[in-house]
Amino acid sequence: MSFFECNLHAIPEGSDSASRLAFAAKRLGYDGIVISNHSCFIDIFRPRAAFKVNSIDVDFGIEIVGNNPKALGNWISKMRAKYAFIAIHGGSEDINRAACEHPDVDVLLHPEKGRRVLSIAAARAAEHNQVAVGFDLSPLIRLRGITRARRLELIKRNIILARKFNLQIMITTGARSRFDLRTPQELRALAEIAGFESSEIETALNLPGKILELNKRIWLGTGVELL
Amino acid sequence: MRSNLPVLRTKRRYMSFLLESEGILEPKDLLVEIYSAQVSLMGDLGAASNKLKLICFNGRFGILRCNHDRIRDTRALLATINMVSGIRVLIQVIGVSGTIKSATKKYLPRLNEIKTQNYGRRIELDEVSGCVIGIHGHEIDLCPDDQRKIKGSDTRYLGLTSFDLCGGLYDADGTSDGLRQGDNGI
Repeated sequence: MSFFECNLHAIPEGSDSASRLAFAAKRLGYDGIVISNHSCFIDIFRPRAAFKVNSIDVDFGIEIVGNNPKALGNWISKMRAKYAFIAIHGGSEDINRAACEHPDVDVLLHPEKGRRVLSIAAARAAEHNQVAVGFDLSPLIRLRGITRARRLELIKRNIILARKFNLQIMITTGARSRFDLRTPQELRALAEIAGFESSEIETALNLPGKILELNKRIWLGTGVELL
Repeated sequence: MRSNLPVLRTKRRYMSFLLESEGILEPKDLLVEIYSAQVSLMGDLGAASNKLKLICFNGRFGILRCNHDRIRDTRALLATINMVSGIRVLIQVIGVSGTIKSATKKYLPRLNEIKTQNYGRRIELDEVSGCVIGIHGHEIDLCPDDQRKIKGSDTRYLGLTSFDLCGGLYDADGTSDGLRQGDNGI
């Protein structure tokens, strides 16, 4: 069983370098991390230094922030060849749906951020295009009171949708520093409070590793691999 | 007079934890934050049935008592703590035991006082520059000259490693790691 944290933000977006995040994640018991800064902070500080940290897989991805569906499509086409992991910064209904309808997208992160749940059409498209839904648990960590209760409610409704349409699920903390990271056991405890079942959590923590493994292989077309 | 029959006593568990922080914390501040997080997450009823108590805390390691059927909730509430009296923290549960003795024996190898050192060194790179606050093995805490660098993450310092500087094969406070000649890159 290998645990991956799939949405970390390094300097200049976060306050820790990629190698420091790798050290922290290794100490907490992760087998791999994916550093995916938002698309406005692409130039990560000393990325190659992270590969020197032993016993942990470090990969780089991108979390694309699109203002409109067309711009999002352009970003995805441009970045697919460069990065092994493409995440979309979800929020508005248009962006969520555009991300779910694009087969090159790996994961749609925090679709509930715009205070709306994932639409039925978007969920159906995500099932068809094998786009995973990323649940960001940072609101459970950072928020308190009624704001946390509202976000929790949206997360629960998205979980029901994900179960209904058999969507792939990822769980992340969206860490911007090493203090935002949590151990897999603590993530599991938080996720169970949010409404996930333990088998779903295991799969969710494994999924980024599987996606990275698939994306690192050379595909000539759908189902055709270059060996 | 016996206060409670053995069969009526609630079963307790002792959770050993490791706290990583940017500064020195008082046990009292941590306790207030733990209680506050508990009430926020579980509500008054849940908090009343948990019997939470901070047994000991030395600034880095500690033991927390909880009810035996509330281990998952206690783990979750510790995971929701991200700041104590304005200092960013990370609480990592090391293990759970049935007695204080076994929790101390198994999970707390040494309860030493934490000492802080102020390193009067600077790092000058193209991307970041500032004063070195602490060095732990390969890991370096840096107080940046430009405070906008830490905006949005609520931390006080930037976290770097010796791998980010030109060295990487030695400890960060070694002479060959490039703390002074860090502008070479890797």
